[in-house]
Amino acid sequence: MVDKDKARYGLNSLKKRGADKAHVILSESARHELNVESGDFSLLRTTYNNNISFRVIKENKQGTFSANKLDNDSIDRAAETVFTMAQASEEDPAYAIAEKQPPDVFTRGREKPDLDLMYKRLKIFLDTIHQQYPKTIIRQASIDFTAYNYSFLNTNGVDFTTTIGYYTFGTIFTSREGKKASSFNYSHFCSTELDHELIEYGSIRTLLDQSSGQIELKNLDRKFDGEIIITPDCLNSFIDSFTYSFLSDYSIISGTSIFKDSLNMQVADSRLTLHAAPLSKEITTNYFVTRDGYRAENCTIIDKGVLRTFLLSLYGANKTGKKRALNNGNCYIIEPGDMAQEDIIRSVKQGLLVCRVSGGRPNDKGDFSVVAKNSYYIENGKVMFPVHETMITGNIADLFMNFKAISKERINFGTGIYPWVLAGGVTISGK
Amino acid sequence: MIEKNLTGFIAEFPEYTELRMQENTSLNIAYVNGNLMANNRNVQSGISARVYKNGVWGFASHPDLTEQSAKSVVKAATDNARFLDSREKRGNPSLPQVSGTMEKAFFTKKKRLNQNELIGFLKEIDVYIGKNLHNVMSRTVILRTLDMEKSLITSAGTVSYSMIPRSNIIILLSADKEGAPVELYNVFGSLGQFEDVFENPGDLFKGIDVLHGHLMKKREGVFAQAGVKECILDSHLAGILAHEALGHTTEADLILGGSVAPEYLEKEAASPLISIIDFANTALEVTCPVPVYIDDEGTPAKDAVIIDKGILKGYMHSKETALHFSVNPTGNARAYLFSDEPIIRMRNTAILPGRDKLDDMIKSIDDGYYLLMPSNGQADSTGEFTFGIPLGYEIKQGKLQKAILDTTISGIAFDMLKTVTMVSDEMVWENGGFCGKKQMIPVGMGGPAIKCSIMIGGK
Repeated sequence: MVDKDKARYGLNSLKKRGADKAHVILSESARHELNVESGDFSLLRTTYNNNISFRVIKENKQGTFSANKLDNDSIDRAAETVFTMAQASEEDPAYAIAEKQPPDVFTRGREKPDLDLMYKRLKIFLDTIHQQYPKTIIRQASIDFTAYNYSFLNTNGVDFTTTIGYYTFGTIFTSREGKKASSFNYSHFCSTELDHELIEYGSIRTLLDQSSGQIELKNLDRKFDGEIIITPDCLNSFIDSFTYSFLSDYSIISGTSIFKDSLNMQVADSRLTLHAAPLSKEITTNYFVTRDGYRAENCTIIDKGVLRTFLLSLYGANKTGKKRALNNGNCYIIEPGDMAQEDIIRSVKQGLLVCRVSGGRPNDKGDFSVVAKNSYYIENGKVMFPVHETMITGNIADLFMNFKAISKERINFGTGIYPWVLAGGVTISGK
Repeated sequence: MIEKNLTGFIAEFPEYTELRMQENTSLNIAYVNGNLMANNRNVQSGISARVYKNGVWGFASHPDLTEQSAKSVVKAATDNARFLDSREKRGNPSLPQVSGTMEKAFFTKKKRLNQNELIGFLKEIDVYIGKNLHNVMSRTVILRTLDMEKSLITSAGTVSYSMIPRSNIIILLSADKEGAPVELYNVFGSLGQFEDVFENPGDLFKGIDVLHGHLMKKREGVFAQAGVKECILDSHLAGILAHEALGHTTEADLILGGSVAPEYLEKEAASPLISIIDFANTALEVTCPVPVYIDDEGTPAKDAVIIDKGILKGYMHSKETALHFSVNPTGNARAYLFSDEPIIRMRNTAILPGRDKLDDMIKSIDDGYYLLMPSNGQADSTGEFTFGIPLGYEIKQGKLQKAILDTTISGIAFDMLKTVTMVSDEMVWENGGFCGKKQMIPVGMGGPAIKCSIMIGGK
């Protein structure tokens, strides 16, 4: 349990110095992590950390400071530093902290790891790879259990405590045969328990099944406007780009978001419903308090293609006159569609099954140009072969308007739940 | 400020042990359209120990910098190594016994600027852009500094202390093109604390004007034509090319993880015009952007020659991979936070300059592109690399034409580097780069302009 007295001491230290408004976030974490390098156990890690973060507003000037020392002298020094920073700031009436809300305590997941079970599951995972995927090398894998304790206090009386603990597994792998190698691929999941073998979580077995078949690739010797099926592992990066480029504080305040005036307007195909659900029981990486100190709530960002909220902080909301988001984003859940994944593939005349992309970040307008990795050419409804050096060029906003199907099936990574999506309006070019 | 000398703890080491005390101090100030959106400082410090036993490692860290904390992380790391060893029973031999002694700190000798002065410095830049640069839809001015202070002892005998700072100012400008934004950014700064890197806001104005000039041309830009094209990659791109194309595929841990690079060892991997070195701390008699003198497992850092005149010569190593490949460690094991274990990372990866002039290189292309700035990139075990291109121009009959919109380039490193036919006589370092491989870490990337054939994304 977090030492809330330290957070109180910090808040009092700020009050004594004359803060108009202030908040303190105190966190304590303990992590146990088992690592694999090149297919073998390599390291067992135990790390403890603290963090105390101060935000002070004095005469409409703001500063923030964080450090990882919790003794009273260090807290007093940190309070002094953040005051100096706030005094050096500029006046902005948009700086604010959360209003008073009823105090609450949130708990989710386990308190402590089962280290023997972590070792056993990882050992079985490596043995399974060795036996069932002889061409595949686990470049890196890690399983960790992290327990977090947070306390959020502010001068308006906000008082929230959170305790959460869960396992995270991630792996990067490649397959080799003779002189050739496949592109590496990776996946992850988070879970409060380890009831199943690691290979059965998320999309890990699917990606491992694909890997050795990606050693021999074929060039696409043409350029065409086609369709792409974006897999759940890959869809996450498109959703993140969409929310950052078009809905975040930065994009709305700077005015670069092409959707800054599109609230309650169609910004995606009507098949798409996207939630940010930090309280969902389906999600492992829950959070209960926003960065500003509000009790987090689930929200629907896009409802049947219509934009229902930006992802604005309190500052962003005050600055732009728009509504504050009910949460920080992430924990994304996309509603399932009405087509089976296999039927979606059958519906594609010419296109790609895109399992991973690599390339430059989309620009503010949403234009992107990426290389399709671990991906397959589809022709007349059949997956033909894995492709080599194939680029996809398009625009994220156009892509979202061109969703043509969403699968019934979804993958739950513990961090989000994503389906397969068929989209058009992209240029596909081979070498 | 951390304790410089940890030798008092050496009696606590029952196995091969590294004990590191570290403090990372970062500053982030950001103006967006004249609004001070960020005014943050962060200090993270602590102590960690890593213990090796028969082929496995134990690691532990704690934020307290006390004697008790040091002893407890050594014990916890030892217990972890013993736990894993008892399960794995690998029986690997001891690590190479290399060690060194070093103290190197890049603290400024000038009077430190206070927060007020730092904010004022940025404000002056913001006001300059707001007043003087036309057709700018949005402007962002960011100051990011990072001081990494480390002290290390190892049971092999290393005693080292370093403070490596970096200071960057990032300018991001957007212009309106038919209701949608077109943006460009540039990163200014280098090794050093703020006072040693930046003197006057006005020193940046010329560079900002150049950035604005490019933005206005990009506003009228066109999509690149997708396909394989002859291109000049400007000197600002050479470093990321070295980093992504060859660097990652020759990190010894990735070699063990399946990289195709061993197929090219002591063979032709690039044009004879190409030599690539991961410099430890000094290149061509100049201190590199991220100098490493002794790495975070106590190895005195040496330059790692990756490609010499087109021939792949070797990899970047930690002690453990050096033991595996029966070579000497190169000093590439680095950790970002006190709570991170050292892993193989690049330091200052560069293509060596050639003899050609950039103008001649551009004139030699009939139909291609001049690519000037990189954004993020990624490497693959196959040798395939990609990175974003936010700024470039068409070349037609040897002359620069229209700017192109954001795109991505890609290629197979060992194929693409064989297409290099010209290398310029410049040497330009990028000073703001971070590499993300499990942990973030600052890296330097440098080199000349090169002429090559490469796959470019577009319409």
